[in-house]
Amino acid sequence: MGWRTVALAEGVDSGSSKIVEVDGREIGIFHVDDRYYAVINHCPHWGAPICRGRVFGRTVCDNDGRLSYDHDAHTLRCPWHHWEFDLETGRAVAPIPQRLKVYPIRVSDGEIQIDTGAK
Amino acid sequence: MIIDCDIHHAGPGKEGWPQYLEEPYRSEFLRHGMRSLLSGIRYEDGGGRWDASAAKPEHVQEQLLDRYGHRFALLTGNNGSVAGSPDPDYAAAVCKAYNNFTIEKWLPVDDRFMMSMMVPQQDPALAVREIERLAGHPRIKSIEFWGAAERIPFGQRFYYPIYEAAERHGLPIHVHPSTINTIAAPATSAAGNVTNYLQAHCSLPQFYQAHVISLVLEGVFEMFPGLKFALIEGGYSWAAHVVWRMDKEYKGLRQQAPRLRRLPSEYVRDHVRFGTQPIEEPAKSSHFLHLVDMLGGPEMLVFCSDFPHWDFDEPTVLPKRLGEDALRKILHDNAVEFFGFPQLKEDETWAGAR
Repeated sequence: MGWRTVALAEGVDSGSSKIVEVDGREIGIFHVDDRYYAVINHCPHWGAPICRGRVFGRTVCDNDGRLSYDHDAHTLRCPWHHWEFDLETGRAVAPIPQRLKVYPIRVSDGEIQIDTGAK
Repeated sequence: MIIDCDIHHAGPGKEGWPQYLEEPYRSEFLRHGMRSLLSGIRYEDGGGRWDASAAKPEHVQEQLLDRYGHRFALLTGNNGSVAGSPDPDYAAAVCKAYNNFTIEKWLPVDDRFMMSMMVPQQDPALAVREIERLAGHPRIKSIEFWGAAERIPFGQRFYYPIYEAAERHGLPIHVHPSTINTIAAPATSAAGNVTNYLQAHCSLPQFYQAHVISLVLEGVFEMFPGLKFALIEGGYSWAAHVVWRMDKEYKGLRQQAPRLRRLPSEYVRDHVRFGTQPIEEPAKSSHFLHLVDMLGGPEMLVFCSDFPHWDFDEPTVLPKRLGEDALRKILHDNAVEFFGFPQLKEDETWAGAR
C-alpha cells in the first residue's frame, strides 16, 4: 500500500473539492458532508475534467414507483454531459458499464492521504 | 400463410348503427347521424383504394385473405375519429357498438378474422369497463388506441387503469393514427395545424415519436412489465434515432427518469413492435436492409396491409433480400408471439405470401 499525503484537511472544507496532481495524474479530492472521496479527473465518457462537475444526492424510486431523494448517495456529475457516478464506488448510476476510477482516501493527523496503488 | 395486423373493416353503417348504438345515442343517430368530428383535414383526400372495399366480410375475404394467403387478419376498423370526441359517454357508446357489430357480423363469417377492440381512450374508467366486458374473447387480440396529438401523452398515468387492465388480460395496445379526422387533437402536426391530408399523413410519425418517448421515459414498462405496444402506420426509420437519442440523453439526465432500471432502448426492444405499412421506400433499396438492422432486426416488425386504404401494401412488398427467415418473422411469427395468434398447427406449414 502506498498512502500519500495530497492535501491538508483544513484546505478542503466540507462541501468543497480540490484537484491535485499525483504522478502526472489529476485526482479530485471531494469533501461531502463528513466524508472524503478521491476520483480521477477524467470522465470515462469523453475524457472531460469530471472533477469540475457538481456533487448531488440521487433521485431514487422504490418498487411501488414512489420517488424520493437520497442525500447520502453522493453522486458526481460531469460538467460536460452530466453523467452521474457514485463517488464511493465509481460506478455509473445509469445501467451502463462505464466506471470512474476511485482511490482509497483517509485523513490522518490533519492530512488527506490517498492510495494510488503505486509501490 | 401470413398474419396481417391492420385491416380496416367498415363500421356498422347507416343500417347498423341504430341496431348497435345504445340510447340516447340511437335516437340521436336517427335524428342527426353520427357526430361530425373534423379537423379541417379531408380524409377523402387519401381515403381508400378505388378498386377495393372492406364494406363487407366477403369483400375482404375475396380481395385480401384468399388472394394473398392470409392465415389471420386483425380487424382494426374505422373508428379513429371518436378518440377525439370531447364526450366520453358518446365515445364509449360508439366503441361498444363497433365492438358488438364486429363480433356479430364479422367474426362468425371467417375463422381468419380476429379483432382489435375499441375503447374510449379519453376516459380510462369507461375504457376499462369495455375491456372487462370483452376481455377473454378468444378472437380479440389487442386494444385499439388512436395515436395523434392527444390531450395527454401515452406515458402519463392518466392511462394507467387501461394499461393495468391490458396487462392483466394479456392484450397489447395497437396504436393507429387518427389525427386526420379528429378535432380533439391540439394540432395535426408537431409544428401546428398543417394544410392538407398529404402534410398531415407525412407528419404522423411525429406523434408516435412523442408517445414512445413518453411511454419509455415515464417508466410505464417498469410499472407494467407485461404491457406491449404495437405502433402501426407511424413509420419506423425514425425509431433508431429516437432510441439512440433516449439512451444518450438518459445517461446524463437520468435524474429526470428515475423509474427506469434499464436503458430506454431495452424497453423498446422488449415492449414495442412496429407495423411495416406504409413500407419505407428509401431511394437506394439496400438501405431498407440497413434500416431493419438498425431497428434491432426483423423481430421488431409485424406485417400490416392497411387494406383497403390508398396506401395499402401487399405482403410481397417486403424485399426478398431480407431472407426467408426474416420474412417469416415479419409476415407471421412476430405476430404470433406479440399478439398471441394461434401457433401453426402440426399439419400447417409456413408458405409465405401468395
